[in-house]
Amino acid sequence: MQLNGLSVDQAPPIAVPLRFFLTAPLFGIIAGVLILLNDSHTLMNRYSIDAIIITHAITIGMFTFVMFGALTQMLPVLAGAKIGEVKRVTLFSYLLLSSGLISMILGLKFSLSFLTSYAYVGIGLGFLTMVLGIVYAIRNVKNFTATIKGMAASLLFAFFTACLGSFLLYEYASNSISQYHLLVANIHSVWAIFGFCGLLIIGISFQVLPMFYVAPKFKQFCKKRVVILISIGLSIWFCLNLYYEEYELVAKIWIALFFWAFATAVWLKFNRRKRPISDVTVWYWRSASLFLTLGSFLWIFDEFFKHEYIVMVGILIGGGFVLSIILGMLYKILPFLIWFHLNATGYMNIPTINEMIDNGLAKVQFTLFILSLIGFIFAFYIPQLLAVSALYFIISMALLEYNLLVPVLLYRATKKRKPDFDMSAFSVDGVA
Amino acid sequence: MNTIKEYLTTDHRKCDAIFAKMEEEAGSSLENSRILVEEFISDMQHHFAMEEQVMFPEFEQKTGMTQGPTEMMRQEHTQMRSLFTQLMDSLNENNSDRFFGTSETLMILLQQHNMKEEQMLYPMAQQHLSAESDRIVSMMDSLAVE
Repeated sequence: MQLNGLSVDQAPPIAVPLRFFLTAPLFGIIAGVLILLNDSHTLMNRYSIDAIIITHAITIGMFTFVMFGALTQMLPVLAGAKIGEVKRVTLFSYLLLSSGLISMILGLKFSLSFLTSYAYVGIGLGFLTMVLGIVYAIRNVKNFTATIKGMAASLLFAFFTACLGSFLLYEYASNSISQYHLLVANIHSVWAIFGFCGLLIIGISFQVLPMFYVAPKFKQFCKKRVVILISIGLSIWFCLNLYYEEYELVAKIWIALFFWAFATAVWLKFNRRKRPISDVTVWYWRSASLFLTLGSFLWIFDEFFKHEYIVMVGILIGGGFVLSIILGMLYKILPFLIWFHLNATGYMNIPTINEMIDNGLAKVQFTLFILSLIGFIFAFYIPQLLAVSALYFIISMALLEYNLLVPVLLYRATKKRKPDFDMSAFSVDGVA
Repeated sequence: MNTIKEYLTTDHRKCDAIFAKMEEEAGSSLENSRILVEEFISDMQHHFAMEEQVMFPEFEQKTGMTQGPTEMMRQEHTQMRSLFTQLMDSLNENNSDRFFGTSETLMILLQQHNMKEEQMLYPMAQQHLSAESDRIVSMMDSLAVE
């Protein structure tokens, strides 16, 4: 029987998610600087080394870090499960992923094969540690909700994505690019975005939208079938890609239609939400559904243009959809965590979560982020836009780091004083 | 008759709807939202009472778990009651920023609390108390009349 999620002391120590959250914008800054140092012609080729490095600074450094950090916190609430030895497991994974990613960036950039060799081991093991830790934690969950199904399917794709990624890095490290390299790279990228990131976002949104925004619930069909139908679509696409490439468009349309439907559902649910509040997190959800719609259609049209627009699809779906949702969720989760951990340890006289992050600065951060994305897209036609967009992106990520650090510093300062209320009667070992 | 799980889950949604109405009204006029704020707090206190006075003791008696999940839910109720006080204070001070800051904090705390109850505690309670389900729902319902 799952009891873990009901106790306050099930929450992982606050350092566990914060470590992941505070590191993510730093990799965003690194990605921005790398874009600034490049030209749009190089980045238009998705298989150029610089494009690969930048993509992974964002996909591993931002997507994965925030998602893993959030999962450590959400598992007890959503599934009543907690990762065993959570401090050790997450620290181990964090160190492997961050050192692996830095090695990958340096190893590929400067052709240092020993660093690239370390990267495929480090990143691969980092993923494996977290994925296995979470899978082991949810193995006995009785009430397997639509959200947990989304999470489990997403982790399965994360596992395969990491295996394929490690194989690709191994080929770079050993300087032996096989004939399957581009095929594997294509599967790796599609499963990463639609499988790992997409399914996790869809699964989480089944819970988050009705609860935090009092938006209408997703229909039973969506909750029961969409995750499995997308997973089937991704598997069919994989088979067609391997054996009947001329028919892969069918599976792509299948996948894209579900994501477009999801984007539309999110937009309509926000229109019909009962809470009138419109903060930066709502802006992020709105922008995510717009970018996802554009990205889904472009992904299909790209098929007829010899994949000329695939990088643009990556910007629309990776940056516009996945990153938007992740940043929006960060603005919700981080201040709440700070408030929750302080309040649960007896600190009552603390700012509310709205007061922890300056709403004006969050909106500036959002605006710069969206402008940078639009700039990146138009840089395909106006190359001069790339540098200014990269600058916007860097400033936006630096602002994000600042916005996240303010509540963390408040937490540290508050913990130095005596609690307002003695909570020793309650068990809060894991919270402090 | 509803099961314990259905009855209490429906009550959660009812409180959510009043919360949303309260925020909407407060958005146009903080002072005019007073009735809805009081209604929301009253409904929440009533929900807590149904759990703390009826369902939790029954669950504890049946399972022998007095320091387990129910105790932790009580602690979160205490956290929320403290926010109710802050919500009323901000209303009395006519401080809109403070009001919406508190309501946002309350909303997230409330929703993660509801998630734990609906996905774990209520199914557990239903499982252990299925034979007495009608009686317990009836007792909670009569508490509602009072």
